[in-house]
Amino acid sequence: MSIRTSVQLIFILGLINFLSFGQTVRDVRGRLGEKSTFEPTKISVEEVRYVGINYITSNDSIIMNNCAEILRNDLDFSPFFEVVFLDSFFMRHMELQEMTLLGWSWMGSAYVVKLDAEFPHNNIRLRYYLYATDSQREIRKERFESDKNDYRALVHEMANDIYKALTGDEGVYRTKIGYVKQVGKVKEIFMADFDGYNERQLTNNGSINLSPAFSPDGEFIYFTSYMDDNPKMYMLTVKTNAVNLVSSYPGINAAPAISPDGKYIACVLADEGNSEIYLMDRKGKIVKRLTYSWAIESSPTWSPDGKEIAFTSDRTGSPQIYLMDAEGLNVRRLTYEGKYNDSPCWSPRGDRIVYVMRDRVFKICSIDITGKDYRILADLGDNENPRFSPDGNHIIFSSDRLGPREIFTMDVFGHNQKRITFKGGCSNPAWSPMRR
Amino acid sequence: MKRFLILSLALLTIMWVAGCGKKKQPVVETPPPVEQPKQPEPTKPEPTPEPEVKKVTESDFRIVYFDFDKYNLVDSAKRALDYNAQILKDNPSLMIRIEGHCDERGTIEYNLSLGEKRAASAKKYLADLGIDPGRLQTISYGKERPAVAGSNEAAWAKNRRDEFKIISQ
Repeated sequence: MSIRTSVQLIFILGLINFLSFGQTVRDVRGRLGEKSTFEPTKISVEEVRYVGINYITSNDSIIMNNCAEILRNDLDFSPFFEVVFLDSFFMRHMELQEMTLLGWSWMGSAYVVKLDAEFPHNNIRLRYYLYATDSQREIRKERFESDKNDYRALVHEMANDIYKALTGDEGVYRTKIGYVKQVGKVKEIFMADFDGYNERQLTNNGSINLSPAFSPDGEFIYFTSYMDDNPKMYMLTVKTNAVNLVSSYPGINAAPAISPDGKYIACVLADEGNSEIYLMDRKGKIVKRLTYSWAIESSPTWSPDGKEIAFTSDRTGSPQIYLMDAEGLNVRRLTYEGKYNDSPCWSPRGDRIVYVMRDRVFKICSIDITGKDYRILADLGDNENPRFSPDGNHIIFSSDRLGPREIFTMDVFGHNQKRITFKGGCSNPAWSPMRR
Repeated sequence: MKRFLILSLALLTIMWVAGCGKKKQPVVETPPPVEQPKQPEPTKPEPTPEPEVKKVTESDFRIVYFDFDKYNLVDSAKRALDYNAQILKDNPSLMIRIEGHCDERGTIEYNLSLGEKRAASAKKYLADLGIDPGRLQTISYGKERPAVAGSNEAAWAKNRRDEFKIISQ
């Protein structure tokens, strides 16, 4: 049974469920990973209608336009959805003055989101009504309110609610990304919304700061910094920007990755040139040395169950991806395709690993953890540092395909590759966990 | 009588010559020697200590270059290190930091480890030549501090390097 038919079957079952019990439908989600021929569900978002009592100001009118636009971008971001845009040719052709649910269904939309807004005091109050075009019935409505200035966050909140209603899963719309940005001659750590907006500078120490990694609760970012001459590891508290030293072993203190249970930091320490993977506790005390070889060991990444670690090693003469269990035993090589494979990241679903392969350019590839089914996801320009979104549906990476290095996102199939930073000199992205 | 005359004439001429000399001297000599020679006198002792302490600068050290994704020392790299070792031998109090660098290709974390390896290979080679390893610190900058901007082989070749920095003389 193909995915498409299974999705349709789930859809029909969901519809029956909805019609008979009036509950929310969970028909959109398919299983990602097996085939990239997944058919997204079409959805459309109408313009925001003003329902306030007072005359609307031009500023509020702009906010309303932006709200609809942000919601469209958010839903379109998911590989499960495709946003259908209003086509004026269609409107004329069908002699329609206003788009109806029937009209939207002719356009292919399975769902329609209608929005209205009012602006009590300095707030924005936004409502959405979610309709299924086939039954022409309202599935869900919800109200959101916040300070007028925080309308972006409010719409992300709303997108999350719609996504959850249709898929049953938490969306990535409230997540953040951390990344390194060149500021003059130095590199500082920045944070932004998942779509690149609301950028905020986290470190300001005028040195080189690298490899930000979120703790599983999202409250801390571990990173390597040259602020005190040698590359030491530090911990930044996201809420306060306070920075604490974690480890300052001789040589490099690099590539932190926090275990899923939050207890350990897998990282790279190198004294006298020999870099090895170590386990430290969250305070920087060495718990265990995991690798023993004279080669370069780098870039540890945890399996979602915390039982295994993937890493890079050049023990055969060129960098390749290896797997081992979290005690450092049972080491086995994962990648055989290509002479240079590095920068692994383990999918939160557990089934696949994304990494970078050098083959004239640096490509982003993904491979099953059994070593089968290797795929190229991005091969335009030099691409680096792929990291999964916490739901495993998206990958964030950096690329110089347009000249200066910028942060990009794509879905797990490599579709919808999209630049989210625009000032150049951005690299080393990390995706925050889901907000609790 | 003749002798007396000749002597007295000679005396007179000497006195005249001497008298002429005495008259001219005070006019010409007095102004210049008082001010001029005193100025150069204090400046003379300053340039003398410079050649005594011969300072080694960072540009005296040769840069050690590497092949892509490699940290082994090629022949030219060994020659550069032999040269640098001689400077270290000539200046036994010199403390050095070896900075390992990489070109922009490859990931940040991998290049950090690679830079560490490059600095360590230079340190080991120097130690084998008899330099006290205690005088040699290492640090890796990965690909974070390129010497030359650019994304071509010429720039990359210049960025895959070990640089020598002086900590103390």
